[in-house]
Amino acid sequence: MTEELGAVALRTEGLSKSFGGVHAVDNATTEFYAGRINGLIGPNGSGKTTFFNCVTGMIRPDAGHVFYRDRDITRWQPHRIARAGLGRTFQLCRVFPRLTVLDNLLVAVHPPHPLAYLGRPRVASLVERARGILARVGLDHLETAEARDVSYGQQKLLELAAALMAGPDMVMLDEPAGGVNPALIERIAVLVTELNAEGTTFLVVEHNMEFMMNLCDHVVVFDRGAPIAAGSAAEVQQNPLVLEAYLGV
Amino acid sequence: MVSGALLFQSLILGLLLGGLYALLAAGLTLYFGIMRVVMLAHAAFILLSAYVAWWFSSTTGLDPMISLVATIPLFFGIGYVMHRFLLARLRPTTMTMMSVLLTFGIALVIEGLLGLAWTGTQRRIHLPYGTSSVEFLGAQIPVVQIVSFALAALSLASLYLIMKRTQFGRSLRATIQHGQAAQLVGIDTTKVAGMGFGLGLATAAVGGAALSLQATIYPSLHWHWIGPLMAIIVVGGLGSIPGAAIAALALGTIRVLLEIPMGSTWAQTVFYVALFLTLMLRPQGFFGGRLAQRF
Amino acid sequence: MRNASDTSTPLRRGSSAVQALRGAGSGRLGPFAAILVVVAVLATWPLLAGNPYMLSAGVIVLNFAVFATAWNLMGGLTGYVSLGHIAFFGLGSYGTGLLVIHSEINAFVAVMAAAVVVGLLSLLVGWAALRVRGASFVIVTIAIVLVMLLVFQSWRSVTGGSTGLVVPRPFPDLLRPEHHRVFFYIFLGLLLLVLVSYLVVDRSRFGQALKAIREDEDKAQSLGIPTAMLKLAAFGISCFLTAIAGGVYALWFGDLDPIFQFDVVLSAQIALMALLGGVRYLFGPLVGAIVVGSALEYFLLNFGETQFHLVATGLLLVAVVLFAPDGVLALAAQLIRRLGPSATSIREESAAEVRAQQDARALAERVEEPGADATTDREDRR
Repeated sequence: MTEELGAVALRTEGLSKSFGGVHAVDNATTEFYAGRINGLIGPNGSGKTTFFNCVTGMIRPDAGHVFYRDRDITRWQPHRIARAGLGRTFQLCRVFPRLTVLDNLLVAVHPPHPLAYLGRPRVASLVERARGILARVGLDHLETAEARDVSYGQQKLLELAAALMAGPDMVMLDEPAGGVNPALIERIAVLVTELNAEGTTFLVVEHNMEFMMNLCDHVVVFDRGAPIAAGSAAEVQQNPLVLEAYLGV
Repeated sequence: MVSGALLFQSLILGLLLGGLYALLAAGLTLYFGIMRVVMLAHAAFILLSAYVAWWFSSTTGLDPMISLVATIPLFFGIGYVMHRFLLARLRPTTMTMMSVLLTFGIALVIEGLLGLAWTGTQRRIHLPYGTSSVEFLGAQIPVVQIVSFALAALSLASLYLIMKRTQFGRSLRATIQHGQAAQLVGIDTTKVAGMGFGLGLATAAVGGAALSLQATIYPSLHWHWIGPLMAIIVVGGLGSIPGAAIAALALGTIRVLLEIPMGSTWAQTVFYVALFLTLMLRPQGFFGGRLAQRF
Repeated sequence: MRNASDTSTPLRRGSSAVQALRGAGSGRLGPFAAILVVVAVLATWPLLAGNPYMLSAGVIVLNFAVFATAWNLMGGLTGYVSLGHIAFFGLGSYGTGLLVIHSEINAFVAVMAAAVVVGLLSLLVGWAALRVRGASFVIVTIAIVLVMLLVFQSWRSVTGGSTGLVVPRPFPDLLRPEHHRVFFYIFLGLLLLVLVSYLVVDRSRFGQALKAIREDEDKAQSLGIPTAMLKLAAFGISCFLTAIAGGVYALWFGDLDPIFQFDVVLSAQIALMALLGGVRYLFGPLVGAIVVGSALEYFLLNFGETQFHLVATGLLLVAVVLFAPDGVLALAAQLIRRLGPSATSIREESAAEVRAQQDARALAERVEEPGADATTDREDRR
């Protein structure tokens, strides 16, 4: 690390997960920095998504630890991790298809106590906040539509909006640019940059090298379930190991 | 105090029963692997095959095993058709839940038709060797149990060979593991999955004939079989054939051993106790991956 | 994969009729009024029923309606299809029966006491069953029924086994037709209770979270929804209401046999009713109960106790799953929408597209899972 990156937000230590005989994530030790846009890249099958799922509690790792802001969150339930401020989106965009766009956001807010679950879902102050976020991602005109009725690109934005609604400190995006047109990719990049400037930390997983290189402050490169390089976008692009893994040269 | 001889005899009988359970559970595991389908009609098909064996034997006087010549290909065909025209039409998003209800419906139809055809009377095959037994190291082992175990072992071995050694087996394994990739390398996954389903149902044909040798059958009997079989596949880890086989042998043996102090009705609860313990301790099953938890 | 094309999106302009079917009208009180209207209409049945048989058939159908609506609180809202609810119905009946026989307490207090105990028990069972999803959950729920059947048949000293348990009637002075009439109104009150419970849950934050779980459980978790706790709460409420229905049934019918109280086929029939009517609709299970319940009575009357009703139930289940998985109310809603002024064919297209998209995702997810067969080597995973 040549550049001063500041405090570590998310850290893994020796994280491992295998399925049958295949080591999907193999002794991965990584660091991602607070207030930055961190990137995670790697060729297909390099274990990025499994790593992602281990960090967010969707999969239990076989070994190793995950620390989020110095708290050991390994083996926490996913909802607890989310409530600790670590939000995420999914690889193939996942929204609640039969809830309205607005409800997709409202559902992401945690009632202060269990009894509040009995209350009505549309609390005025929350609706206002949700509308603010929808306006920000450009979906405010669709709030009464069911999520299944909006286009794929809009669903991607909706997923990001829902993640933001929970008020996370850090958001993990799994292939935000996958399957969307260049104009929308650009819009997502601008949004991420803006939100980051306002203090949200990001960890982005992507194939799209170009997208990542322009966006990220710090990039970790995965191959065969473990990091092989880390550094600024420019640094990792020069790294012979990375070129070999990515291009097979 | 239970005598050593009785214990030994129960152990042998338990292993024999477990072997049969292993065959019966193998079919369920196969369907689950192929389509994430819990096939509730499996035991109803087993019962159907048992009825055919009984009917064949009582009308012709021949050995019930001969009925397998017809039932194995017939069941294979039914399985293929069922997959192709019923299960494959369900939407993947709701596949698991809807397939349960669909196969439940099929089980009810079979049970109802059996009742209409042969009434609710209890039936039993009478065989020349039906009551004879063999002595093995002091234990009395009924011949029918040995025959049905041999049948189960033979079928499981064939199943293993089909899966491991044939082109079809390779295609089926590929389809189970990665449907889209299998398609990309030129496997007709729909056809292969249909045949896999047929294969599963063919095991029901064999299992039914084997059971007909030793069981008294009546139309609603399949509910007493599907419970233990489902418990076995969950304990073994959904989708794992070796897991199911080990769980079947273990639970079958424990069941027969428990019959000595508890009697046969209470001994049956061992399957359900094992099921609940598995969920408490290891929801993904003892030999499977994490599939079970999510499907 | 579909590309992002920001074409204008067809908004769903649900006509008020559709909203009423769904029980989710824009007004706060609309659906509550709809419940009252429906209950008031049903209340006329004893006046129309010409003979005690028709009256008792009405009681049976109402019992199914209560049961199916209670089931739907779990099955419809969370998408977890339970085939084990009959176990809690049966436990409610036996609990009530045993309390009435062995203690002096009022019969209806006994119903509530039994239901509370069964509700707590269901939390214990649910805690185990809800650790797994989909197929395993269904397996566990069926197992619960089979266990209960075994236990109640074997434990003769307490349950009377297959000889049955005779429950004394709460109103011994009433003649048979009067007895049916009284219980018709009791079940109607119960229907009011479950419909209102469903509606309250459906319109609360709790219900919203349950629907999120139904749509995508992983996603719900990743947004911080405590899915395990909420599923358990829904299961508990659903089982509690089911147990009340079971208890009242015990008082009405007066004779309990494990074969009928723990009949897994009835469990499937209840699921069928909810599905046939439409699990996403407040009145779906009620409509399904009226259709399936009447059909079952009709078969019983015309064909007697043959296996024919099994075949009919089975075929109907297969047909509904294949051709109308969203229920008849959904079909009706579609029809209304098509006839209505805001009808758009675009809407249908887009639904089909999204469905295809959802299915593609389900398939992709299936691919993401590690291979099912532990004996074989596994290909590299993404």
